[in-house]
Amino acid sequence: MVTTSITRKIPGGKLVRLDITFSDQIESAKITGDFFLHPEDTLDDLTAAVRNATLPLDPDGLLSQLDRVLSNHDAQFIGASSKDLVSILQEALACRPSE
Amino acid sequence: MQTFRMIPFRYFDAFTNMALDEAIMEAVRCGESLPTIRFYGWQPSAVSIGIFQGIRNEVNLAAASEAGVDVVRRQTGGGAVYHDSEGEVTYSLICPIEFFPRNVLKSYEVICDDIVSALGSLGLDAHFVPINDIQVGEQKISGNAQTRRNSILLQHGTILYSVDVEKMFKLLSVSEEKISDKLVKSVRKRVTCVSSLTTASIENLTDALELGFSRDRNIVKGDYTLWELERARVLAKEKYSTEAWNFKL
Repeated sequence: MVTTSITRKIPGGKLVRLDITFSDQIESAKITGDFFLHPEDTLDDLTAAVRNATLPLDPDGLLSQLDRVLSNHDAQFIGASSKDLVSILQEALACRPSE
Repeated sequence: MQTFRMIPFRYFDAFTNMALDEAIMEAVRCGESLPTIRFYGWQPSAVSIGIFQGIRNEVNLAAASEAGVDVVRRQTGGGAVYHDSEGEVTYSLICPIEFFPRNVLKSYEVICDDIVSALGSLGLDAHFVPINDIQVGEQKISGNAQTRRNSILLQHGTILYSVDVEKMFKLLSVSEEKISDKLVKSVRKRVTCVSSLTTASIENLTDALELGFSRDRNIVKGDYTLWELERARVLAKEKYSTEAWNFKL
């Protein structure tokens, strides 16, 4: 089981932090930061999409899913993007110890 | 021309300030209150964090407790802010969402233009900097945040009158190593305030903001209703001062 935290300042945007625990699958995920997301409860579904992503990660698939969440909520994500979330998750998963 | 109630500057504690914003949003939505612009301070001084921030990541809770500084989670995004009771004027603007552009970034710019105008009347050449800041030159003087719920828009923000960078760093979670003279100097270079650039008093700043926000609006000077104050008392007690809300992330 790996628990890690990745914090990234998005160029021209805001700060996003991902706290994640994973082994063969993602056990828990928490997204925090000083970004703006309207409506705010969209974050619950974005976080659920990250938490439910299967490993090994399909970045394009997750990106489509995150974009679908944003579209379903008619959301405005300001200071970060769905691409940023995928990229930060990839960085976090790279902490996986080699077997 | 849109009609707004304008409520003059008054001090409240952090929990009541956030609760009043929510209470007024409810009252405006029900048509019980006019769209509202209110000015306020924080007594005691406080730290507010953005709705998506982790409180333990952002605030030195031991230092805040020792200093008697309240900590509250806002219902808006954005970052952690130290609200010194003597160092700033805070405003909230609450109205139906159709009063401003649907695009959030554009609406920041439109609302912040009233603050730019206010600062201009004090002789400051301020300008809006996306996403949500106002700067004088390269230095930030105002930060703003917005939410939209149930067809009501809330934008609140601070205009710095004076800045105590050392105290700010003690309260916000920055590692000891980072609280170096170099970093403090760097922040001092990036942040400015009305008192360091003009001879204006904090009352002058409040007056200027009242005028800035009155442009192109029909203003009715008013006060909080008894319903809003009572609703805010309940929200402060049952939401904004609770661990369930403040420690939820």
